[in-house]
Amino acid sequence: MGMIKDSKSTYIEGSSSDEFCKTWIYELDQRLGGGIPAGNTVLLVGSSGTGKTTLSMQFLMNGARNGEAGVFFTITEPLFKLTKNMEKFQFYDKKLIEKGMVNIIDLRIISDRLGLDAEKYSVEDANALLDVLKDIADELQVKRLVIDSITALCYRLQSKELIRDFIFKLGSSLAAMKCTSILTSEVPPDKLKYSQYGIEEFIADGIIYMGDIDRRGDLIRTLQIIKMRGTMHSRSKTAVSLSTAHGIELIPLLKSSR
Amino acid sequence: MKNISTTTIVEGLKERIVNAAIAPSVGVILPSNNYNDFIQAIGEYIKSRPADAYLYVTITNPFERVIKNIGGLLTNSNIKFIDCVSRAAGIETVDNRCIFIESPTHLEKILLDIMNNIKQWNKSVEKYVIIDSLSSFILYNDSILVAEFYTYLCSHLGISNTHIISLCIEEEMDEILNKIIYLKSDRILKVRESFI
Repeated sequence: MGMIKDSKSTYIEGSSSDEFCKTWIYELDQRLGGGIPAGNTVLLVGSSGTGKTTLSMQFLMNGARNGEAGVFFTITEPLFKLTKNMEKFQFYDKKLIEKGMVNIIDLRIISDRLGLDAEKYSVEDANALLDVLKDIADELQVKRLVIDSITALCYRLQSKELIRDFIFKLGSSLAAMKCTSILTSEVPPDKLKYSQYGIEEFIADGIIYMGDIDRRGDLIRTLQIIKMRGTMHSRSKTAVSLSTAHGIELIPLLKSSR
Repeated sequence: MKNISTTTIVEGLKERIVNAAIAPSVGVILPSNNYNDFIQAIGEYIKSRPADAYLYVTITNPFERVIKNIGGLLTNSNIKFIDCVSRAAGIETVDNRCIFIESPTHLEKILLDIMNNIKQWNKSVEKYVIIDSLSSFILYNDSILVAEFYTYLCSHLGISNTHIISLCIEEEMDEILNKIIYLKSDRILKVRESFI
């Protein structure tokens, strides 16, 4: 599999190769050098409102449209709020959910059913949760998985050792299944850090940073691929457009931007 | 009813637009006194060529004002608008012929919307992007950023065989914008008050 040669207008359907898991967001796949290497665990980092959840959902919907099932674990937003927010985007297709190609699961409900402490997970709790996540991914035969957000999950895991262990084991299991995962990570605005706990970025195979730049009081959304193991990717900062018609689109950021 | 001198100015300007618009990129530098005349002339030009496709990017005036100024422009079904100022001014007009940009500082978003619109047009028609006015962007952005925006835009429009007509109001211009408009335009139309 080499570089994408399709033009944007024809970049709609096809199949991901064994090597790459395409986001089917044309400009992003171009910058990734073809897509996310299949089985990679990617940390999608950004402060509030930068487009992490939208990009993650678009990644799943686009994948489903091209024959790859996916699962979205939400922990920060109740299910009804998440779906209500997503319904306004054209890429969001309810039928794909009804067909089971995209599954949206509230992780807090799973925690409740497992009888886990809502605020703090022990080692056993973390392992039980990990097993459930792996089982769900396996049972649904998903090729794409999103956890929104890993920060909220890490908050419950509490110790750095647990966080490291959890992400490492999750990433390894999913990689074995050739399942590509996106873990969203919340960071404060204007801070050059990729995770709240300083560990997540070392375990992840890739880091995509979504931020804002201030242009005379207006915020311009940006995206930058910081690392992506297994691919020659762009490291340029791009501007992000978020619209109901097209979802996430990228365009080079004008360099004179401060 | 128009008086004779105004009509003559508009007709004169229209004739110059007809002669200049065959070039891929045309820069129009005009004093603010002649702005309305030129807009009238552009409107006449568009109306006289219904088979062509136009994307009218408005920064100087809101979409509604442009429509009022150039009555009957919308009879051309091949015209679409990108309004960069209404939302920033708190005007909440909704119109399916127009894309409303949140702020004129969102230059990348404007570029993206221009590109996305052009792709929807039939390849066989003559395509035009009209920027009204490039100089108004520097009221909201650093001029070096506007120069970069314009360079990017001209490069992409050149590839997609789309003409660009960029208005610049003399009083708004600075050295950087003056330089870039001369550098990037294949033809410069400089309007003087004593033009006609």
